[in-house]
Amino acid sequence: MGVKKRISGCVATANAVKLADVEVICSYPIRPYTGIMSELARMVADGELDAEFVYGEGEHGQLSVVYGASAAGARAFTGSSGVGVTYAMEVYSPISGERLPLQMAIADRTLDPPGDFGSEQTDALCCRDQGWIQGWASTPQEALDLTLLYYRIGEDPRVLLPQYACQDGYFVSHILGEVDIPDAAQVKEFLPPYKNHHVLDPRNPQIIGAQMEPSMGPGMQYQRYQAIEGSRKVIEEVHEEFGRIFGRKYAPWVEEYMTDDAEVVIFMQGGHAETCKTVVKRLRNLGEKVGLVRLRTFRPFPTQQVRDALGRFKAVGVVDNSVNFGISGAAGVLLTEARTALYGLGDKVPTVGFVAGLGGEMITHDEFYKMFAKLKEVAKAGKADKQSYWLPFEL
Amino acid sequence: MTNLFEEPGLKQITVWARGVYENKEARDVVVAVTEAAALEGKFVQAWENYVDLPDRIYVPVRAYGKISDQEIESKYVYENETPDIVALTEETLVKGVDILAGIKPGAVLVINTKRPAEYLFKFIKKGTENLASIVTVDANSLAKSIITLSGAEGATDASGIGKGMGAALAAAIVKATGIVQFESLLKIVENKNAAKKAFEKAQVVDVKTLVNAG
Repeated sequence: MGVKKRISGCVATANAVKLADVEVICSYPIRPYTGIMSELARMVADGELDAEFVYGEGEHGQLSVVYGASAAGARAFTGSSGVGVTYAMEVYSPISGERLPLQMAIADRTLDPPGDFGSEQTDALCCRDQGWIQGWASTPQEALDLTLLYYRIGEDPRVLLPQYACQDGYFVSHILGEVDIPDAAQVKEFLPPYKNHHVLDPRNPQIIGAQMEPSMGPGMQYQRYQAIEGSRKVIEEVHEEFGRIFGRKYAPWVEEYMTDDAEVVIFMQGGHAETCKTVVKRLRNLGEKVGLVRLRTFRPFPTQQVRDALGRFKAVGVVDNSVNFGISGAAGVLLTEARTALYGLGDKVPTVGFVAGLGGEMITHDEFYKMFAKLKEVAKAGKADKQSYWLPFEL
Repeated sequence: MTNLFEEPGLKQITVWARGVYENKEARDVVVAVTEAAALEGKFVQAWENYVDLPDRIYVPVRAYGKISDQEIESKYVYENETPDIVALTEETLVKGVDILAGIKPGAVLVINTKRPAEYLFKFIKKGTENLASIVTVDANSLAKSIITLSGAEGATDASGIGKGMGAALAAAIVKATGIVQFESLLKIVENKNAAKKAFEKAQVVDVKTLVNAG
């Protein structure tokens, strides 16, 4: 059996990387994800983990190192935060184009400005459409579990795609939470060794990630599209098996909290959902019919599941913890995705965007309380006066 | 609205320290006390101030702990807004730092110092109206301060919890407040000798007597 410890999201992720028996790691320091690499460096130094630990000369270099390592047949891991994530932008598409299932942990940090250490999901969301599997953990336990889930999903021969395992910086990455660290035998049963079916071989070198002829473009892109669409079935199967082996059952797409007879809900992703849950619980004690729907997998976006989940309520508030200046709906990408999922249901389910927690600011109990109060007004009126509200200025 | 989110059973511990060279000791105090509370079945949380860090040598920095009978709901926050216990890893922090900001009525201040509470009290300019007692302990005479970056940034501290003077400071907190059983703390800290001596030697002074003495 595993052991229970109070550890941070960073240490939880590092433990998962160790359990996954990752062979090549490439680091470059930036807060807050850097705790993952400190922990992995210690594990390698102490002989707990037998892996090549490479110091990248920057994030672009980091991604290039694991790109090569994965092409050569190694299970590879890297990570970053904030501007580090965007600095490596060029390399994301070649990795998924080459269909290499390496993993990158992202502990969110705002881009500059404000450039403080605080969390904002903007960094990871900038690379959301690069053909990677992507989703957010809301606790250190889920951070550990995401790493294992994503390697298994990404390495499935029906998928072969890289993955961003995301966690909110500081809130999840640095605050200790109780984590059940599974034992190695369980992980071995769940995650077989990585087998690259087209290993880069110097005797017969071929690579397709970076550049090719225009005539080859449509086919390559179509295959990548099919891969991410096809991953949906695998994501469901793998979550099922994860629950069977580890006893922790996650809904693969959306987690519903106190939604049974709810009239209004908040839809969001990441660690702030844990704060929202406590507000839902308190409001439920007062007899309010409120709930939370937490998105677990962002890419591929579970359009049908979100439609099924959100289509039953009288009003839905979508919390975006990112900046998408000039976007339709004047909030964030989660609002536009939710609206697309609900398209065709007309005015039946009014949606309102809430932009909150920018620059790493907390989303407080009082702010969630105000969001629910606004949603009750919207449900009563059957429509919203405004598409979106930026907190704390507009609510 | 504020009342709706109150957590009545929640106790908050804030430890002030000097940046980098006392980060570990400050963190050890909150980790040791909260882990001891966890042994007693409490809900706990320990963390370092994210914005104070990293790498700012000698700058006042904070580490925090929370202990509750109920599940902690104010989890994803940056600071303890209303501490029940404040501890200082070194005495000069009484000057020019608002160490008692937000303390609850009946709060306790624990200081690592050779000097008496009467002397240090004179330097504390704000927030003493809610302060019940000052506890002094010469933690540095009982154990060394361990300077390490191990355990920074949420990573595992490979140098050992409560190996240095943090064990003594934690023991003084336990003596003054009874927030956990001393036996529970002894199960967590590595430097049990320093903890025992601190538990024996820590001086608890009622703030009322200090105010009356002028």
